[in-house]
Amino acid sequence: MMAKDDFDRMPRTELRESNWTPEERAEFIRRRRGRNWLLLAALGVFSMMIYGIAVVKLHEYGQMW
Amino acid sequence: MTTQATTFTPHLGADPGDWIALLKPRVISLVVFTGAIGLIIAPGHINPMMAAIAIFAIALGAGAAGAINMWYDADIDALMRRTSDRPIPAGRIEAGGVLGYGIVLAIISVLLMGMAGNLCAAGVLAFSIFYYAVIYTMWLKRRTPQNIVIGGGAGAFPAVIGWAAVTGHISLLPMLLFAIVFFWTPPHFWSLSLYAAKDYEKAGIPMLPVVKGAKHTRLNVLVYALLLLPISISPWVLGLTGRIYGITALVMSLAFAALCWGVYADRQDAAGVSLNNDKPARTAFKFSLLYLFVLFAACAVDRLV
Repeated sequence: MMAKDDFDRMPRTELRESNWTPEERAEFIRRRRGRNWLLLAALGVFSMMIYGIAVVKLHEYGQMW
Repeated sequence: MTTQATTFTPHLGADPGDWIALLKPRVISLVVFTGAIGLIIAPGHINPMMAAIAIFAIALGAGAAGAINMWYDADIDALMRRTSDRPIPAGRIEAGGVLGYGIVLAIISVLLMGMAGNLCAAGVLAFSIFYYAVIYTMWLKRRTPQNIVIGGGAGAFPAVIGWAAVTGHISLLPMLLFAIVFFWTPPHFWSLSLYAAKDYEKAGIPMLPVVKGAKHTRLNVLVYALLLLPISISPWVLGLTGRIYGITALVMSLAFAALCWGVYADRQDAAGVSLNNDKPARTAFKFSLLYLFVLFAACAVDRLV
């Protein structure tokens, strides 16, 4: 069974339009959460890389310190 | 993760692992290795963080090409047992989304390479993605039994990109490394296809054993292994690497050629089908993986020692 918080976060249309079992619903939430974490991690890594490139380039050209 | 995903119906959406599977992680591991070797052996200096980002960009570019390949090949993937559980044919991810995913990742990888490396490396990376996704996947894979030979070019780029990321240009040594991977690919894949051709036949892909038969394929495995021998030692002969690489390349290439001779001379029926459960082909395939790893590692050791 999913937690109440999970239930509250789900779009209402999905709940109305589907006849999912509790297990399916829990699985749907688990997958969506997993995708969101993956996307967050990807954006985080990308941001860190851009930051790293900026620091190294600025350092190389002597404009940071 | 995939096992879990197939238990439920597609409307539940994809597992995060499915999005990673679209990038073909196993291919990426080889690409990262050869790309890193290209970086290590190149003369000159690159900031370690830039080097790490450059390798990441190579991996991302390879993943992007893999995703576009999965988008385009979803129809034939569904027909083959080995690939039928991939995210698109299994119905866990919509095909159109994968195309967008591949294109976005390709753009990001080229931009990252341009920023961390240089324009030359970014240009070669962009071309390698185009080569694999368009020239190989869309144009030639379904048209010619030489598809593997041409496809080998795609796997040969990372060492060149790694080199270019440090030096800003391409010279003879990375081109020879390119040639080694290029000539290594046919005996590597055709050894595999000798005992895994049925899947390709079902999907209508003109793999050499399907179109020309096993006998012809065995001959080609041997011919390419023999061609690989002089190419693999050429960096040493031309004075671009030292003895560590040269002797390693000579020993490994002779061993590989001997195993490919075993594939050619395998006990077989009139059509060339093995009466030995393709044992020599299986051995040659496994050794081919070790071959490339040892050869490139020796190249790096030779440069570092």
